[in-house]
Amino acid sequence: MLILQKLHKTFSTPQGELPVLNGIDLALDQGESLALMGESGSGKSTLLHLAAGLDLPDQGRISIDGHELSTLDEPARARLRREHLGLVFQQFHLVPSLNVIDNLRLQARLAGREDAEWTAHLMARLGLSGREAYYPEQLSGGQQQRLAIGRALAARPRLLLADEPTGNLDEQSADTVLALLLDLVKETRCALLMVTHSARVAAPLSRLVRLHMGRLKDNAP
Amino acid sequence: MNYSRLSTALVAMACAILIGCQKSPSDAAPQGFAGLGANAEEFAQADASTPLSFPRDHGAHPDYRIEWWYLTANLEDDQGQPLGLQWTLFRQALTPPDERPDPAPWTADQVWMAHMGISRGATHVAAERFARSHSQHANGQAGVNAAPFEAWIDDWVLKSPEDASFEDFTLSAYSGEGADRFGYSLTLEPQGPLVQHGENGFNAKTVEGQGSRYYSQPFLQITGQVTLNGETREVSGQGWLDREWSSQLLTPEQTGWDWFSLHLNDGRKLMAYRLRVGGEDGGDYAFAHLISADGETELIGADRVTLTPLKTQSVAGRDMPTRWSLTLPDADLQLTVEARHPNRWMPTSVPYWEGDVVVRQADTQEKIGVGYLEMTGY
Amino acid sequence: MMLRVLLTLLSHYRRHPGQLAMLLLGLWVASALWSSVQAVNATAKDSYARANALFSANVDELARRDGQPLTREDYLSLRRAGLPVSPMLEGTLEIDGERLTIVGIDPLTLPSSNTLGASGAALTAFITPPWQTRLAPDTLDLLGLSRQQAPGMTPAVDNTQDSAGDGAGDSRQRLPPLALRADLPPNTLVMDIAAAARLLDRDNTLSQLVTAPGALSTAPEGYRLTRAATLASPEQLTESFHLNLTALALLSLVVGLFIVQAALGLAMEQRLTTLRTLRALGVPAATLVMAMLLELLVLGVLGAALGLASGIWLAGQLLPDVATTLSSLYQADVNRSLVLPWHYWVGSLAITFGGLLLAGSGVLWRAARLNVLALGQSQAWRLAYQRQLKRMTLGAAGVAFLALGLALWLGLLPPGQGVLVSFGFVAALLLSSALCLPPLINGVLHLLQRWLRRHPLAHWAVADIQLQLPRLSLAMMALLIALATNLGVSSMVGGFRLTFLDWLDQRLAAPLYINDSPSTLAPMLDWLDARPDVAETLPTARGSVDLLAVDDTQEQGARERIALFGITPAATITDRWPLIDTISGRSAAWASLSANSVFINEQMAVAQQLAPGDEVTLDTPQGTRPFEIAAVYPDYGNPRQQILVPTEVLIQHFGGEVASIGLVVNDSADHQALREALANSFDVSPEAMVDQQEIKRLATQIFERTFTITRALNGLTLGVAALALLATLLAQARDRQRQLASLWALGVPRKTLTLMPLFQLGGLALLTGVVAIPLGIAITWTLVAIINVAAFGWRLPLYLFPWDILITLATALGVAVTAAALPSLQLWRTSPQAMLNQGAT
Repeated sequence: MLILQKLHKTFSTPQGELPVLNGIDLALDQGESLALMGESGSGKSTLLHLAAGLDLPDQGRISIDGHELSTLDEPARARLRREHLGLVFQQFHLVPSLNVIDNLRLQARLAGREDAEWTAHLMARLGLSGREAYYPEQLSGGQQQRLAIGRALAARPRLLLADEPTGNLDEQSADTVLALLLDLVKETRCALLMVTHSARVAAPLSRLVRLHMGRLKDNAP
Repeated sequence: MNYSRLSTALVAMACAILIGCQKSPSDAAPQGFAGLGANAEEFAQADASTPLSFPRDHGAHPDYRIEWWYLTANLEDDQGQPLGLQWTLFRQALTPPDERPDPAPWTADQVWMAHMGISRGATHVAAERFARSHSQHANGQAGVNAAPFEAWIDDWVLKSPEDASFEDFTLSAYSGEGADRFGYSLTLEPQGPLVQHGENGFNAKTVEGQGSRYYSQPFLQITGQVTLNGETREVSGQGWLDREWSSQLLTPEQTGWDWFSLHLNDGRKLMAYRLRVGGEDGGDYAFAHLISADGETELIGADRVTLTPLKTQSVAGRDMPTRWSLTLPDADLQLTVEARHPNRWMPTSVPYWEGDVVVRQADTQEKIGVGYLEMTGY
Repeated sequence: MMLRVLLTLLSHYRRHPGQLAMLLLGLWVASALWSSVQAVNATAKDSYARANALFSANVDELARRDGQPLTREDYLSLRRAGLPVSPMLEGTLEIDGERLTIVGIDPLTLPSSNTLGASGAALTAFITPPWQTRLAPDTLDLLGLSRQQAPGMTPAVDNTQDSAGDGAGDSRQRLPPLALRADLPPNTLVMDIAAAARLLDRDNTLSQLVTAPGALSTAPEGYRLTRAATLASPEQLTESFHLNLTALALLSLVVGLFIVQAALGLAMEQRLTTLRTLRALGVPAATLVMAMLLELLVLGVLGAALGLASGIWLAGQLLPDVATTLSSLYQADVNRSLVLPWHYWVGSLAITFGGLLLAGSGVLWRAARLNVLALGQSQAWRLAYQRQLKRMTLGAAGVAFLALGLALWLGLLPPGQGVLVSFGFVAALLLSSALCLPPLINGVLHLLQRWLRRHPLAHWAVADIQLQLPRLSLAMMALLIALATNLGVSSMVGGFRLTFLDWLDQRLAAPLYINDSPSTLAPMLDWLDARPDVAETLPTARGSVDLLAVDDTQEQGARERIALFGITPAATITDRWPLIDTISGRSAAWASLSANSVFINEQMAVAQQLAPGDEVTLDTPQGTRPFEIAAVYPDYGNPRQQILVPTEVLIQHFGGEVASIGLVVNDSADHQALREALANSFDVSPEAMVDQQEIKRLATQIFERTFTITRALNGLTLGVAALALLATLLAQARDRQRQLASLWALGVPRKTLTLMPLFQLGGLALLTGVVAIPLGIAITWTLVAIINVAAFGWRLPLYLFPWDILITLATALGVAVTAAALPSLQLWRTSPQAMLNQGAT
């Protein structure tokens, strides 16, 4: 599903070159869920961004569902994201100008495969039924993140990438959101790569890797 | 140069009204009231060397700097109310005779100013006119011809008939429009001779010898009509016409004068004046001419005339003496002279006080005459 | 503490110098435009005041009934009759190629209310040779003299035609020694009448006899009295011109303040955290507000100083054009260098500060009500904005109602009146349209959203722009006003040019014209008629007449002086002379133009409410007579009423004089030879004969200048509107980038995202432009049909230029795209990834 091989990434900073990823190899299969852990600044988010095609590696290869990212130009990478990926961020990144239902359908519509039944089902699963006409800022944090998850899954992606999806939530909401996320991942049978620094959040996932000094250490859960 | 001082003198006279302010344009050097003390060597100088010659001297003397035809009258109207009036034509030369510009239609070497005033009770009205002329141009906007005599500015005219010289005058002067119109139309007949003041009509005004050529017709019998407050009344009474010309009347230090022309009931006329020196005592220069009923004059010298203000009243923001003691010991005259009303201020370009007075015996307060008082430089 | 707070607040601008620049730019632009126009107005008003103080407006004038020139004998006989008249002699002289007006006066008899008489301490010097030349210091520029060296100088006069004087020494005449007087009108030399008579070689003749207003109750026998009130003063004539300028300046001030508002809003937004922190650290709300007020004032001083400085510079650039325009349109002399009274400075500063406080009041209000704890935006902002839109709609309806009322009022006013009401109408129309723009846009976007439901990206774009509307609406209102005014004014200018050039073509029918004094022209006629190369002579004549009554409705006695113009009704002229209205057709009108019928110009038709078929009673030298009005003709550029009669009638029956001769020459004629023959036979220069083309060129040039000013101001206003939009967009750029970044993360290509704002704003601007078009047309109509009639007395046909309308739309688009380009470029150059992460900070 997702294959990363020998990824290298270095950032230029005013203080000099800062190597962040130093030869990463990782593979994720259909239906598999992987927690990516590591300290702050260890390069977790960078790895996730590379996997999403938001950024390009200095070296190495990334393949998503058989598509070689390095062979794709920007519009093609955008199209790949639109059609095959779902993204969930710590800051939700909902579109404030659109109401709940339009936010939910946005990616599916962009990908050209809106499924009304699935959308309605999602609304119910997310616990947002009856709030279709609300705007994001009228929702609580947990509701917003649930909506963001719904939006990511509305197009039935093959791969869901989540960056600290519960990082902005209190413990109780976090648990609810996480449970919902895993349920839905299971339901849609997509692969999940989730960045987190919390072992509690990582625990329910099928695999766990740690990122340290730019390298991955495979850990059994 | 003399010329520039002269200009200041004229400005004081003519310009103040145009600007509507009365401050003296030059504080640099004292020049007497209205610049009449300004030095004027380039003009003809008044002296006693030649006798007056008539009718020539009734006309203008453009070689002299200043000149006037000055009429005052004490009248009574048909309702028995006393009434005073004044009509004066002033001439001033703009340039000394040698610097006169060539004549051209508008070019001027003389400026004329005329004042008229009528007083009755608390009422006092005044008007002023200006004109320019060239001494080599006849019949301008203002002028004076000697024979037949005519003195005019615009439609204000004092004249004698064709065949008479300096007698049987008619005077007409009106000002304003509609209800504000005032003025008079008079005939004036001399009842006595012309009177010359001083030797050959030379009247010294200072100890240094500044002075003027000066003669008068104090015996005028006047009848006519006066229009005032929209009403025209018949009037009659007596008048006094002064003729005077000079180039330098005062010394620069003399700041003004108080001048009396009195008609006494016994037929005598009395002209008395005091020239004041600003700021210090004792320098006043006082003279009197007592004129008998047949025109004989008696000059009374400085030390034999006492003129003392008895009472002052506030007029136009100034303290003006309105009651005087006039004493001539040699003539055995002790008089009190009092204004009929303090409101006789002439708000003209050169402002001064000019009004009718009543003459009384100092001791008995018996009324023994009427007259006119002019006070300048206050 | 205050200082510490203030410094903390100001430190924001150290990190964001662009915002400071924007703020100052807004203040600068607003106050610069305003103060420049005010400077121009102040200078012009000063010139008029000085001209009015001189004469014309506040004296009555006498003229001879027999049309002969006044002489010194008239003066003397009137004075001797007791009439308080004063002589005046006016003429022009050339000095170093500059034409100057000479006014000769007699200070001894001049009505004393007249400031000219107040000659100060040198009356003798003034009236005695060598006399004096009084002139305003600004006139010295024309003579090339400095203030220090000028007093006492005696500049030589150009070619006084071999002065018949003594001829000794320099044959050129010299002015009397110069003396400065600040309150005299520009380009005018005042001197004693004796000096003027000598310089102008006039001897006995006078140009005017004047009296104090009302000094004479009736005209003396043989003379005609013109009251001060009936003489048009330049101030009246030029009032509307200045009103126009002021209105434009006010507009740019308002638009400039939009920028300030936007910049302040941005700074406020970005400093919210700082403000909350300061409050949390124990700074009282009052101190915080005071500090912000202080900050505003500091910025205000800076901006106002910048604005004043460049405003004065700008005014200096505009003034020569304004002066030329005014002098050619109204014969009003306006100073070419600035004269600024104290109230100008105070007024400009006050306006700048007032505007700044107005623009900043919202920010101060928010600072005062700052909630220390609240971190997000108000939950209810959507509702609040809906309420605001409702209020805007209500306000727009109210103002529209007011506009309607003003329009009705205008309808009730007699034609030719109500300049102020019409400006009020335009203002109300603009305000109402501006107010209803945001609700309108909101509605349209709402509809579009429904429509585009199936197109997610377009749907998002519309929803997104709707979200920005609260911020953008102010800038869009500014853009609407600027666009509509621009369209209105440019249509008027275009229409005016077209009409005017057309009219010139018609009026200047003859190919050649001879202009000179009447005494020179009169004997020329026979000579010209005798020449074989001259096919036709078409003399024109000028005169004036007293209008006694209009259609017998007016009571006798209210006389009014009207200019008479005479033309030769030959086919060459009658075929082309434009007529607006006739009783029964052109040819009938021309056939009836005779000793009994007249034409009147449109100005007179408007002012007296006359139409063809009405009668006017004129006081002719032969007695009082009625005349029928056969036609009304357009007379652009003439501020006065005019009656048209055949030249012959004017000369024979009204005592008029030949003013010019139009010439139709044979095809074979040699213009140059004719020119020279004319100069040889008569005492005229070859230049007296002018080509029609040359006149047209000059006239066109004069009118072009008028509108250069208008266009310049218009362009600047539009530029300011663009800046307002840019400021608003920059203010929300960061917020917007974050949103775009999340879309990018969802898989929208970056190029699409970069272009999106251009489309969004372009669409919005296009919508604004579409609203601006009918508004602009309404303004054009008001300008040509109401304001122009009221101000100038003639109506312009309403021309619409599709090209101008397209340009307006294109401008709107251009302005929006230009303003959107900078934030888009920023977006393009910033990594979206970084933007995604910005949410965390």
